[in-house]
Amino acid sequence: MGTNAHEQETIQSPLVWHPQSAADAWQLKQNFGADAVYAAGGTLLRTQWESGLAKMPAHLIDVSRINGQEEPIREHESGMTIDAATSLAACRSDALIARKLPLLAEAVKQIAAPSVRQLATLGGNVSSLVGDSLPALLVYDAQLHLFGGAGEHWEELSDWLAATEQALLSSQPASRLLIGITIPMPEGTTDSHAVAPAQEELVSKTKRFGAYYKVGRREAFTPSVVAAAVVGSINSSGVLEHMKLAVGGGQTIPRRLKELEAAFAGSELHAATLQRIYDGVLDVYEPRGDLFASADYRKSTAANLIVTELWKSAAEAVTGGW
Amino acid sequence: MLLNREGSGSRWRIRPDGPSKVTGQLSYLTDMTAEGMLYGLVLRSEHPHARILSIDTDAAKQASGVRAVLTYLDVPGLNAFGIAHPDQPVLCEDRVRYVGDAVATVAAETLEEAEYALMLIKVEYEPLPVLDDAEAALAPEAVKLHEKGNLLHHAGYSKGDLAEGFAGCVHVVEETYYTPRQMHTYMETEGGLFVPGEDGRLTVYAPTQHGFMDRMQLSRILDLPQQQIRIVSSPIGGSFGGKDELNVQPYGALLALRTGLPVKFHNSRWESVRAGLKRHPMKITMKTGTNAEGKLIAHQVRIIADTGPYSTLGAEVLNFAVEHVIGPYVYEHLDINGYSAFTNNGMSGEFRGFGGNQAIFALEGQLDRLAELHGMDSWSFRKLNMRRTGDTGPFNQPIAQTDGAEQVWSVVAGSELWKEKDKEQTSNQPPWIKTGVGAAFVMHGAGLGVGIPDPAGGRLQLAKDGKIEAVFGYEEFGQGLIASLELMLIEQFGFAASDLRIVIGDTDIVPDSGSTTASRATAMMWKSLERMRVPFEEAIIARATVAAGLAVDQLQLGEGGVRRKGSEELIISYEQLAQLEGEPVKSETSFHFPTSSVDRIGAHFMYTYSAVAVKIELNTLTGRVNVLKQLHAVAAGPVVNPQGFLGQIEGGSSMALGFTLTEDAVMDKGYYMTRNLDTYLVPTIADQRGDVEVVAIEQLPEGDTYGPRGIGEVGSVTLAPAIASAIRAASGKWVTKLPVQPSFLQEQPAFLQKAVD
Repeated sequence: MGTNAHEQETIQSPLVWHPQSAADAWQLKQNFGADAVYAAGGTLLRTQWESGLAKMPAHLIDVSRINGQEEPIREHESGMTIDAATSLAACRSDALIARKLPLLAEAVKQIAAPSVRQLATLGGNVSSLVGDSLPALLVYDAQLHLFGGAGEHWEELSDWLAATEQALLSSQPASRLLIGITIPMPEGTTDSHAVAPAQEELVSKTKRFGAYYKVGRREAFTPSVVAAAVVGSINSSGVLEHMKLAVGGGQTIPRRLKELEAAFAGSELHAATLQRIYDGVLDVYEPRGDLFASADYRKSTAANLIVTELWKSAAEAVTGGW
Repeated sequence: MLLNREGSGSRWRIRPDGPSKVTGQLSYLTDMTAEGMLYGLVLRSEHPHARILSIDTDAAKQASGVRAVLTYLDVPGLNAFGIAHPDQPVLCEDRVRYVGDAVATVAAETLEEAEYALMLIKVEYEPLPVLDDAEAALAPEAVKLHEKGNLLHHAGYSKGDLAEGFAGCVHVVEETYYTPRQMHTYMETEGGLFVPGEDGRLTVYAPTQHGFMDRMQLSRILDLPQQQIRIVSSPIGGSFGGKDELNVQPYGALLALRTGLPVKFHNSRWESVRAGLKRHPMKITMKTGTNAEGKLIAHQVRIIADTGPYSTLGAEVLNFAVEHVIGPYVYEHLDINGYSAFTNNGMSGEFRGFGGNQAIFALEGQLDRLAELHGMDSWSFRKLNMRRTGDTGPFNQPIAQTDGAEQVWSVVAGSELWKEKDKEQTSNQPPWIKTGVGAAFVMHGAGLGVGIPDPAGGRLQLAKDGKIEAVFGYEEFGQGLIASLELMLIEQFGFAASDLRIVIGDTDIVPDSGSTTASRATAMMWKSLERMRVPFEEAIIARATVAAGLAVDQLQLGEGGVRRKGSEELIISYEQLAQLEGEPVKSETSFHFPTSSVDRIGAHFMYTYSAVAVKIELNTLTGRVNVLKQLHAVAAGPVVNPQGFLGQIEGGSSMALGFTLTEDAVMDKGYYMTRNLDTYLVPTIADQRGDVEVVAIEQLPEGDTYGPRGIGEVGSVTLAPAIASAIRAASGKWVTKLPVQPSFLQEQPAFLQKAVD
C-alpha cells in the first residue's frame, strides 16, 4: 500500500529542473510545454496551487540561476540592470536602488511580508502582470530583457504589459522568459527621472518630484487596492513637465496613463488643471473592482493620490511649501 | 493605576509558558504524533443547502491506505452535537445545511491517501433553496431549516409604555447598525490526536475550552461511558470562543475507535474557515428618545442575528446582546426584541465579547447621536444617564455593586486624550488628514448568567515529590492563566515558583471547574484559592508541627517549605513533609459562579466596567482610518497579574480593531468568499502602531467578597463605538456599518472642491 502512496506523491510533487542558462531553461519549457512552469521564489505559485487557481505542474523549471552575472543589481553606462531572479528582500536592502530608484525601493518595501520577500523575486513580481513593483518600474521607463524562441531581446515594459494582456485576452499567452530589468538613465544623471543635465541647467529652479503609493485593505502584508507612481517636474511658474503616471493595483494590470501625460505637458498646475487631471484619471483608468473595493473607489483613490502629489509639488515649487 | 511593566515592579514576571511559546519549542496538541497513526479528514458539503440522495463510499473504502470511511450509519450514539442544544449532525444523513456540514470521514495511512479517498466518495445532492439572509429566513414563506422553524431563539425585555415614552421625547434617534461575521483567527487551527487504549478507553488530545463538556458530548456520540474517555485539552494555540464547541473531535474519536489506531486531525486554514464558528453578524435597529433635560426616556431595539445552520450557543449570545443593548444606562420605557435566525450561512457561535461587541457598538452610537442633538458633550451626556452605585442591572436585577461606572468615566473625563477632543486640528498636518477623538462606555457581564450551570472550583495538594500541586479544570489558550495562577499562589501563600506544579486540562486528573469562558476563569481561581487557603495551610502546618515539635502558631508557609514565624528559618521542606506519614495534604473546593437572584436566563451578577477613548487619523484621500492612541480604563477589582491584564486588554483591543476596520468573513449565497487569510485580513502589527494605555481601577467597595472581575473580553467590546465616535469628530460622518468602508470616508481634496466653486 505504501508503494501506491509513494507513486501518488511522485505524481503530485513536480520534478524540479535547475538549468544554468536562459537557453537551457527555454529548451526545457519547449520540451515539457504546458506541463512545465518557470519558477523562482515560487511564492505566488504556491498561493495559486493552494487556492486551486492553478494546478501544480509536473515540472518546475527553476530560473533562479540562469544569469551568471556576479552582481545581480548593477549600474552601467546606459542605466541600471536588476536580474529577474533578484529577491525582493535584496532589492529592498540595496543601496544603489535606494539612491537611484527610490520609487522602486518604496514599492518593494510594501510588497508582502519579510518571509515572502526573502523568496519572491522582482522578475516574478513583474511576470505576474499585477505586481506592485510595476507602477514604479513603468514611470522609470523600464525595459525587459527577455529570452524567446528567437534568442534574447529587449522590450519596453509598458509595451510588454499591454501585449501580454492582449495575448491573455486572446488566450495565446506568449512564453518568453524574463532575464532582467533595465532602467535607462541618460549619462550623467543622478537618478532615473531626472531630465538631461543640459536641460536642467536651463531650468535650474525646476522642482523634480516623484512618489509611489500603495493603498491596501490594511497597513502591511496586503494585496494592493491601488498602486500608483508619478514623477515629473514643475518649474517656478508652476508649469508641469515630463510627467509620467502609472496606475495599477489588485488584479488590474498597471499601465502608464500616457494620454494624460501628453495632455497636461506644459500645463500650469492651478486648481482647474488639477481638477481636469483628476477627472482624466477617473476617465481613462479602468481598474477591476472586487468584493472588497469597487472599481469606483480604486479610481477615485488613484485620482486623489495623483492630484494631491501634483498639488503638493506645485506648492513647493512655486512657494517652497504648502 | 497606569498598568505597565515599569510600574508593576516584581509583579511583572516572565510567564512560565512564555519562553517555549516564543521560541517555537512548545509542542501543541496538534503537533503530537503517535506511532502507526492514521490521518483523518472530513468530507464536507458542496452545497449550502441540499438534500442528500445517496452517499457511496465503496470506491473510497477500496482505495490504498484507507482504513475507514464512516458515514451517519457508523455513529453508535447520538448523531448530533451542540453545547446547549445538540442539533448539529456529526455526519449528515439526509440533508446538509451549510458548506461546513460533514457527510463522511476518512482515516488513511497518509494525508495524501486520505485526500484521495475523499475524492472517491460520491454524494448525490438535490440542491435546496438557500437562506442566506437572517430576516428572509424569518419570513413565514421561508423554507424551514429545522422542524421547529428558522427561529432559534427570541429574547425580549420590556418595561413601561413605549408609545407614551416616545410621545414625551424632545429628541428621537432611529438608526440601524450592522456588524461583521468576524473570525477568531487563532494561529492554531482545530485538530488533535485521538488514541484508543488497550483497555477500551479513548484519549483525546484536542484543544477545547471545557474538557468535561467535550467528554460528555463525545460520550453521547460514541455511546461510551464518560469514564471511558479522557480529554487532554491544553496547551491551546488560541481559541477566543472558537474551540468551545466540538469541531474535529467526533470524527477523530469515531475513526480511532473504529480502526483501533491513533488518528491525527489538523484542519487546514481553508477547512477551518469553512467549518468553524464566527461571530454572529447582527442587524440592530434602535429608536431612542430623550426628554428636554437629556434624560433617556424610551429605548426600542430590534436585533436580528444570523446564527447559521445550528444552535451551539446562538441563543445565549442573543441573550447577552439583549442585556447589553440596555447596558449601563437608565430608561423609563424599554422594548427590546432579539431574534436569532437559522440560515444556510456559516456557523455563528461563541466569540470573545459574546454578543456584547455588536450591542455596544449600536447602543453607544445612539448615545453619541442624542448627545449631539442636545448640544451636549457626549461624555457628560453619558454621565447624566448612567446607572449609579446601588442601581440594579440592565434587567432590573440585583448585581454585585461597585463604583466602577463612575470610576472609569472619571478616568476618561480627566485624561489628556479626552481634552484633545476640543483642540483645533493642528495646522502642521496636511489638509487631507483629519483627526478626531471619541469615547465609549460599557458594563460587561461575566459568567454564564442566571439559569445556566456554571460550576467553579479546584484542588490544592502536596504531591509525593513535595511539589505543591494546583489542580484546576481550566485551560491555557494563551491568555496567561498559568502565569496568573502561579502569581496568586506565590503572593497569597508565600510559595516559591519552584515549589509549584500547575495541573490543568486533563479530565482524568482535574476537577470540573466549569468552562474557561465568559471572562470567568481567573476570578474563579482567585475565589477557589481564597476558599482553600486556610484549610490547605492548616493541613500542611498540622503535618509540620508533628515533625518539628513546634506549635501551630510558630509556623508559617514560605518558599521551599514551612518556616518559623518571624525568623523565616526553614523548619521542614515540602519535600520532607511529603515523605512523612499522615493524612493526604489537600484541599478541595467547588461552588457556583455567583448569580443574581432574578428569574431571567442569562442575567449577570458580576460586571466589569470599562471606558475607552481613542484618537484616530483619517486620510481622506483613501478613506482609511489609523488609530493613533487608545486609553482603556477598566474597573475590575484587584489586578491578579499585571502582564496578563495588560495582555488581555491590548489583545482584545487588537481583535476589536479588526472588527472595526478590516475583518469580515464575506459570504455570497451561502459560500465563503474569504476562504483564507489572504482575503480575510486581521490587523498586522503595522496596523497597531498607536499607543495603548491601560488604567486599572483596583478598588472595590468595602466588604466585597467577589474579588477580581473578568477582563478576558472587556478589551474587545468598546473600541468599535469609540472609533466610530472619533470618525464622526474627524469627518462629520456617522458610521453604521462595520467594518468601516474606506469608500464611505473618502473625500475629494479640498483644493479641487474650491476650484469647482
